[in-house]
Amino acid sequence: MTDSDAARREILRAVRENLKPRGIAPGSAEPVQSTADPGPATEGPQGPTKSFRAARGSTARFTERLAAVGAHCTVVSGEAEAAGALAGILSGAGARRVAGSDAPLAQRLLRPLGDRLEIAAGESLSRDELFACDVGVTTAQWGIAETGTLVLESARERSRLLSLVPPIHVAVLSTRCICESLGDALARVRQGASHAITFITGPSRTSDIELTLVVGVHGPQTVHVLLLEET
Amino acid sequence: MRVSLFATCLADQLWPAAAAGAVRVLRRVGCDVQFDERQTCCGQPAFNTGYRPEACALARRLIEIFESSGADAIVSPSGSCTAMLHHYEQLFEDAGWRARARGLAERTHELSAFLVNRLGVEDVGASFAGRLTWHDACHGLRDLRIKDEPRRLLRHVRGAELVELPPPGAETCCGFGGTFSVKYPEISVAILDEKVDAIERAGVDAVVSGDASCLMQIGGRLSRRGSAVRALHLAEVLASTT
Amino acid sequence: MTFDRDARTALADAQLRGALRHATTLFGERRRAAIADVPDWEGARDRARAIKDETLLHLDQYLEQFAANAERAGARVHWARDAAQACDIIAGIAEQRGARTVVKSKSMASEEIRLNAALAARGIAAVETDLGEYIIQLAGEEPSHIVVPAIHKTKGQIAALFAEKLGMEPSDDVTRLAAAARQALRRRFAEADLGVSGVNFAVAETGTILILENEGNARLTTSLPRTHVALMGIEKVIPRFADLEVFLRLLPRSGTGQALTAYQSLLTGTKRQPGDEGPEELHIVLLDNGRSRMLTSPVTRQTLACIRCGACLNACPVYRQIGGHAYGSVYPGPIGAVLTPQLLGMGESSALPYASSLCGACRDVCPVKIDIPAVLLHLRAQAVARSGGPGTHRLLERLAFWAYAAVMVRPRLFEWVMRCARTLHILPPLGAWTKWRDLRPLAPRSFREEWRRGLRHEAGR
Repeated sequence: MTDSDAARREILRAVRENLKPRGIAPGSAEPVQSTADPGPATEGPQGPTKSFRAARGSTARFTERLAAVGAHCTVVSGEAEAAGALAGILSGAGARRVAGSDAPLAQRLLRPLGDRLEIAAGESLSRDELFACDVGVTTAQWGIAETGTLVLESARERSRLLSLVPPIHVAVLSTRCICESLGDALARVRQGASHAITFITGPSRTSDIELTLVVGVHGPQTVHVLLLEET
Repeated sequence: MRVSLFATCLADQLWPAAAAGAVRVLRRVGCDVQFDERQTCCGQPAFNTGYRPEACALARRLIEIFESSGADAIVSPSGSCTAMLHHYEQLFEDAGWRARARGLAERTHELSAFLVNRLGVEDVGASFAGRLTWHDACHGLRDLRIKDEPRRLLRHVRGAELVELPPPGAETCCGFGGTFSVKYPEISVAILDEKVDAIERAGVDAVVSGDASCLMQIGGRLSRRGSAVRALHLAEVLASTT
Repeated sequence: MTFDRDARTALADAQLRGALRHATTLFGERRRAAIADVPDWEGARDRARAIKDETLLHLDQYLEQFAANAERAGARVHWARDAAQACDIIAGIAEQRGARTVVKSKSMASEEIRLNAALAARGIAAVETDLGEYIIQLAGEEPSHIVVPAIHKTKGQIAALFAEKLGMEPSDDVTRLAAAARQALRRRFAEADLGVSGVNFAVAETGTILILENEGNARLTTSLPRTHVALMGIEKVIPRFADLEVFLRLLPRSGTGQALTAYQSLLTGTKRQPGDEGPEELHIVLLDNGRSRMLTSPVTRQTLACIRCGACLNACPVYRQIGGHAYGSVYPGPIGAVLTPQLLGMGESSALPYASSLCGACRDVCPVKIDIPAVLLHLRAQAVARSGGPGTHRLLERLAFWAYAAVMVRPRLFEWVMRCARTLHILPPLGAWTKWRDLRPLAPRSFREEWRRGLRHEAGR
């Protein structure tokens, strides 16, 4: 038996022993009823129409929250418009080295820009190249309206480092994938398939020095969301 | 309404105006007030310092004394001592004593809560000229949830102007904490000075509270700092008719 | 432990006190604003506490479930009975992988077990990457606050520190200071062989660990190096994935007044394809170190519900005056005052449970409704019940309370003693009171004397 196995036995035994005086027998789990928190959007008396109303209002809420947390947002309809908006963002930022994830949508949006910029595919980058990038472009799988949060699931967006290392992160998200609350998002992500699920709410920040806010510490300083309106 | 007064040892010996004021106010609103002279201390100092057997002995005694009172209610001019009685149940393992402690707690009220919530009275016919500010004593505020009641009573006092300390000023601890005030006096006074600074900035004639212990702490520092601001117990103000 | 002395030192430090006043006030305001947004804050607290209670009552099952699911997803789960074993496990992992530099994101548990020193003793350098932790690591100090560890330092002090240690041009500009740290640390991230992180929540149902942060250093720590070690106290486990919602609603608001921190990483085992991004290995270390002992009684068990938000520090009138260092341990403030004595034993930290006015402000703000005053009172009773307390102070105190109890059960004796004190002006030596506060004189007549002299029969007026 390894030391860790021995410790495991000791700890579990200690836990069971120490719980005994209460008369709770191990194995009699009595789960708390319904811990799933419905969240603010589903509380209240709206009834059956609320989910439709939520869907209509979600995009507006999401963009509002994005602004509140310091992320930029551009709403576009269709990929052509998206590619144009992306080009605008990149030139506006004076970006020269841009890396896109291998997600097909990210690749499609970046392709037309290949003659003006150094575009790399995320997974082919060395560490040094990754750290030298100006902009990382990824997809996002979900948006959370309640908090202005982007959700990336590693099974579908394989390059999280592009949303983290370059100082600018551009995320492409479909409006159809905006959910209302944290609870909704947690219900939709599939942690079985994705070993890493990342929630991103605005740019990186710290208040560690005299409680003064600094934006852009270890993660990106700027987050752009390209919101693809799809009907 | 027959009331048995739980005077508290501190008010009895160090702030009798609080206990006397409580008697007068309760009588003015029509209660028949008794005082059982066998009472001394509720045991809070012992309990708070970790001396549970001693606290237990005093608790048993007080439970017996008040059980024999035959009163409808036990009323006290102290939030912390009332809260102590409400915690008596925790001191006992025996189911019989726990039930008796529970019974006592149900009948025991802090003065302002009794007047406003049990008797439905906010105007006790008091007069007191001056600018006052209220200090929420911690046990009364957080254990007994007394917040609104003293303010309602004070607002009906003729001639009194109630000034609220800027939030969270009224609710911050005065730093007394029982033996804490002498075990860690520097910390106690550091906490106290923030409270006293706020009181002085408020430009009031007096600070009023429902706990004599807080008043000793705050009053003691006010006078040491040469302040003209007085420390008064709620019962003193409510009993005042001048 | 030298609480008395350290508290006095802190009280004499005007700059520290100003910083603490500013920080605790600001955090208090931000928290209040953030919770005003939540439709049923009290309901959320109750739910979270219920989940914690349920978990702790069946902790063995949930730990086993968590370990099984984490392992199924590819993680290696290690169990550590105490600090020494945990350090040994982590150092062992580092050594086996030939790791020379380790990057660390914020982990109070790692400070509790003194991991950095243990790694250093085995020739492994650990670099803190959370900005506040990085600052205090450079300064060789301990954290003074759970959420903002370097709150006791001015930007001037940090500028001087960075000038000395990083060769940076001294600058008071906070943005430039942060940028200097970012620059210095990026190289370490790129080169590190191993990343050590903490864990905020561990989900039994799925084997997922969740890490919250604002800076991005935890994401870098847990995705760049090929080995990731996640250290967690055994109390961090929660039953279901869906339970995360209520804790995510409570923790950021309570801690920093944010609706959500910038990043949450939900990690379930290792990457599914070898070519994917992310570490090759995930090691999760489950740490006991005294936690299982706290399960014995309901009063102490609630200590384990803590989600390390720091709200109690910001609400505490004592912490506000003395800051974190005086508590002499990695966990300061109200939660520290109850956790440290239980982890280290009362002998080590007997002062802590008494360093409180029992005001209860901490209980009001705790997102999981830990009744800290009740735990403090429990520990005080334990301190007294332990026979042979240190020093004559305890003996004198025992005598005093024996006398007090003897007097208080005898009302006539009580009156007589007080009358003596009154007429002879005898008072117990209370220099600790009178040095700063006037003592209210004993009234010429006690209430009970007034009662007997006529108040008893006075008509209502």
